[in-house]
Amino acid sequence: MGLENPSASSLTTEMCQFTILKGAAPVLAPRLGRLVLAGRKPISTPHFVPLTSRGTVAHLSHDVMRDQTSIASLYCGLEDFIEKDGPAVYKVPCTAQESPLRKFICMPDEITLVLGPRRAPPVPCPVPSTNNSVSILTSVGFRQLPASEWVDAVQKLRPDIVVGMADLATGTAAPGVKRRGKMVDRTHAYTRDATERLQRESSSPTATTTTTTTYFAPVLPLENTEQTIYLADLESELRPAIAGLALYESASLGVLPPALGDLPRLVFSEPATPHEVLRDISLGADLLTLPFVGALSDAGIALDFVFPSPSSSSASPSTSSTSLPLARDLWSDTYTTDVSPLSESCNCYTCRNHHRAYLHHLLAAKEMLAWTLLQIHNHAVVDAFFAAVRASIERETFESDIHSFARMYEPDFPDKTGQGPRYFSFHSSSSSSSSSFDISDYAGTKSSPQAQTRRNATQKRTVV
Amino acid sequence: MSTAPSTRKRMPSALTFELHAKCSTTKARASTLTLPHGAVPLPIFMPVATQASLKGLTPDQLKQTGCMLCLNNTYHLGLKPGQAVLDEVGGAHKLQGWDRNILTDSGGFQMVSLLKLAKVTEEGVRFLSPHDGTPMLLTPEHSISLQNSIGSDIIMQLDDVIATTSPDHARIEEATERSVRWLDRCIDAHKYPERQNLFCIIQGGLDLELRRKCCEEMVARDTPGIAIGGLSGGEAKEQFCQVVDTCTGLLPEEKPRYVMGVGYPEDLIVATALGADMFDCVWPTRTARFGNAVTAAGSLNLRQASFADDFGPIEEGCTCASCRPREQGGLGITRAYIHHVTAKETVGAHLLTIHNVHYLLTLMGSARQAILEDRFPAFLRKFFNDLYGGDSSKFPTWAVGALRGVGVDLLSS
Repeated sequence: MGLENPSASSLTTEMCQFTILKGAAPVLAPRLGRLVLAGRKPISTPHFVPLTSRGTVAHLSHDVMRDQTSIASLYCGLEDFIEKDGPAVYKVPCTAQESPLRKFICMPDEITLVLGPRRAPPVPCPVPSTNNSVSILTSVGFRQLPASEWVDAVQKLRPDIVVGMADLATGTAAPGVKRRGKMVDRTHAYTRDATERLQRESSSPTATTTTTTTYFAPVLPLENTEQTIYLADLESELRPAIAGLALYESASLGVLPPALGDLPRLVFSEPATPHEVLRDISLGADLLTLPFVGALSDAGIALDFVFPSPSSSSASPSTSSTSLPLARDLWSDTYTTDVSPLSESCNCYTCRNHHRAYLHHLLAAKEMLAWTLLQIHNHAVVDAFFAAVRASIERETFESDIHSFARMYEPDFPDKTGQGPRYFSFHSSSSSSSSSFDISDYAGTKSSPQAQTRRNATQKRTVV
Repeated sequence: MSTAPSTRKRMPSALTFELHAKCSTTKARASTLTLPHGAVPLPIFMPVATQASLKGLTPDQLKQTGCMLCLNNTYHLGLKPGQAVLDEVGGAHKLQGWDRNILTDSGGFQMVSLLKLAKVTEEGVRFLSPHDGTPMLLTPEHSISLQNSIGSDIIMQLDDVIATTSPDHARIEEATERSVRWLDRCIDAHKYPERQNLFCIIQGGLDLELRRKCCEEMVARDTPGIAIGGLSGGEAKEQFCQVVDTCTGLLPEEKPRYVMGVGYPEDLIVATALGADMFDCVWPTRTARFGNAVTAAGSLNLRQASFADDFGPIEEGCTCASCRPREQGGLGITRAYIHHVTAKETVGAHLLTIHNVHYLLTLMGSARQAILEDRFPAFLRKFFNDLYGGDSSKFPTWAVGALRGVGVDLLSS
């Protein structure tokens, strides 16, 4: 596929350096890169950015994340922190160099923190955005987040990477022509105002803190022709103020002007499978967020794929007639006494220390450790997948490796068996109802309609 | 009451108990209990991993709290994953990847506490299956068979548990005598006495005379360890202390003594002063899930608004993984962050569980050190002072009374 790049292009702002190590074309081609942020562990791309809920990767306590995963970056949504007036996250005592967000969520310095206005994936809001605010959902309900408050938050919290505010029209059916026009105009305005303020106030001689924030400008999930003016502005006037791009669908990888090709691309396309991840990487995605990882852990499903194919497999992809499953549902009774590791080819903490029978037991017993051990494993599988993808791009076999992978593995994950443990509650033995609480109350409001249905099904089952 | 001692089979022991020191004032003891999966310093608190997992913590996280011995519940493991799976997997250690010690209860307590329709007969406990409602029977033989499959290092006899507060004295007497008869059946049924230690359970309600008789009968059976059961069922703390004090006074010095289902830090400390060595309770881990941090100054509910902006550690000076600053290899978790995630993310429960288990293990470790250095009375004073902010008028009268009985007056300076 001819990935030649004798002269690696490098984009440097004060705090952020993105180097493209290999790539055939500025857009619509897979590429290798290296993202270096001052003070953080460098990130080789393509890679994934694990998602957080209230500042934590679900079910992974900080020591487990540090000791048993290789997570080097995290995505946080501001809406997870601002349900109260005068939120605590703004009050963390910090030196001028520290990030209050990092200190609040108790994360170490080497982790790259990415902050957007909303969680990923965002829960659709019933009320649309306005010219100067977007709809968000905090733990106490829906509200508007004014663009100015968002920029204030960015300045106070000092994340490493900021994903700019966008009017994304989530949840609604495909937006109409008028709506699409508004989305572009508003996003253009949010971006212009935010970058202007961030630039001005960081360069002001009276600035009390040095801004260390790297701004990723949103590209809307619309046709190129619908956001021409905005994209042109990103290429020209706004160009010095932005250090990366945030994309919301795979197709956006095709609307980028080549002139923006040296910017790192963070993609929120919500790929459903590793096959779709590969598609996005082949179109030039550098960083991806993968909601399926946590969703599968919650559903008791352990990932089981290796790119481009498992090394231990004796059958070559061309001779094997049946394809391999991408994951195994540990709720299945077939694992009741199976003492083999979750995945034969995995060397993660879970696979080194535990077996399928234990995970099956923990799921059946609704023990929280099931989700912790699955999160460790599923993040490890995806981590190894990205390392293999980078090696494949490096040795220029990526295109054929994608085909091998597609032949080797089934197209979809196994179906959830409807016993997902995500929506659980802690039960108090005391009679006082105030001392018992239910995570599901909160999780329910945060969940997609499908998850809501699943949750209702779970509740019904409990009642029966 | 039961078989003549001469006809009973001689019981091997799979433990050694080394008594290092006795407090020169109180009845407290410091010892080391060596079990098949390692040495356990006594006195000790044992966290409860009911269903073969300690509430979200990995076995390595549990080890890092210093835990050498934890509980599993026979009743729960008998239902899930079930005896056949336990046999096939090779027991609870292999099931949960835990290479330190496990203690299991007999399942009898859950029969009575969880199953309203349980009926006790001489044969065993009759109950309806929580799965499908079919009638089932838990006998002493079945309980031991399950615990043999679990492979726990300490197994408990099935006892006839009734609430200490029961007004029916005849029933209490019957239960006590039946527990002795069931002990004999457990001893006979126990397949692996050379690798699993069967503990008897002293019953007798709050009747000290009955407790004395039960002690005598059970001590004669020469089990490797002895438990005091039927407590923490809502009785007055004074009565609890009397029972523990009476029993420890009759038990042989060279065997470990386990007070079941206890409890709060002050209960542990007072019972230690009364000569008990081992304790278990779900409270520290359960309360963690409700956002409560156990500290030397008492329990703090970190869900309260006053902790939202508190950027200090869960407990100042605590050396658990959650509290220790990052510069010291810890996580530097703040009260504000626990407030932010508690009841919303499982991680909040995990971080507090680490702290609470570590607190109780460390508390018992400090008590042991104080006994070894023969300064346990001073330790008691400091413990109660810290817990009640130096205000001796707040000291619970039951604790003051119980400790006075073993030679320590908390109220004299």
